[in-house]
Amino acid sequence: MIRTIIGLVIVLALSAIVVSSVSDYSMPSELIGVGRGYTEQGVNDTGSVNLVTAVVVAYRGLDTLGEVVVLFSASTAVVLILTLIPIGANPTPPSSIVAFTAGILPGAIVLFGIYIITHGHLSPGGGFPGGAVVASAFLLVMLGSNTIPGKSKFLTSIESIAGLTFGLLGFWGMLTLGQFLNNLVLPAGSPGRIISAGIIPLISLAIGAKVASELSGVFASYRKAGGEK
Amino acid sequence: MTASAMFYWSLAVTALGLVLIGLWGVLTRKNILRIALAFTLADTGVNLILVWSGFLPGRSAPIVDSSVTSMVDPLPQALVLTSIVIGVAVAALFVVVGVLASRKSGSADIRRMKELRW
Repeated sequence: MIRTIIGLVIVLALSAIVVSSVSDYSMPSELIGVGRGYTEQGVNDTGSVNLVTAVVVAYRGLDTLGEVVVLFSASTAVVLILTLIPIGANPTPPSSIVAFTAGILPGAIVLFGIYIITHGHLSPGGGFPGGAVVASAFLLVMLGSNTIPGKSKFLTSIESIAGLTFGLLGFWGMLTLGQFLNNLVLPAGSPGRIISAGIIPLISLAIGAKVASELSGVFASYRKAGGEK
Repeated sequence: MTASAMFYWSLAVTALGLVLIGLWGVLTRKNILRIALAFTLADTGVNLILVWSGFLPGRSAPIVDSSVTSMVDPLPQALVLTSIVIGVAVAALFVVVGVLASRKSGSADIRRMKELRW
């Protein structure tokens, strides 16, 4: 009871602070600053029609590399904790609906994920969402089967190769154009084509493979640790 | 207040509401998995605030097209993409640690996890 009251007081105080601090804030009508520069010059600078991908992969490519590292360390921590301390056995058997769906859908889901990854510079998408979609197909297969996934050399090697590719593409720009992760070591091409926008499609592929294998590894270790004792 | 302004501010109120509900859940719930859920709810609200900060009513998504004349700010959307992925990673770790702690103390109730106190 006292906990609820304290929580309510803190939440109300915070909302009062936020509301009072934005009271002189008005709805903007024009873009300013960095965002304006990105929308005006993004296509010329990077060749990517999708400006979000241009920012994520080209302008802020180094941040994305750091983000991949964060995801990698988190998934490593999850796998490490769950393998050091086994907490369960015997996965719960799937219902017949899940088992049946897991026999049909994963192929289509993987295809859709690859589409999202490869069209990241043309339409909403890119490596992170596409990789998550591919990993969801893996999750569906795992939920539909009755077995515990074993150790997979395949997943870990894909993860390593994808991470290495990202770094090497960065160093390629450093060696040829003197800038780490410079996008235009490959020609920008004509914006809107599938093969355009420099190395953005290649980096999207690397990120997609890395995210898919990492999330699959996390799901697999959840599956190994879960279930009834 | 015009319709677009109402839409604009209702987005802000929704986002702030999500953050506050999540914070309230983190402060008051006792089941550690519900705390994790409330945490991800607050995370979603923060992401929505960030996307909202680059949003201009009546403009289209930041994808350059011959028919597009004006678009919203692409930078917050790109940062939120980062934030979502980090949020997933943190939530995955949160759940694992929560499950481990609850197996160790025999219950998901945080009041029974004595070793978390100092």
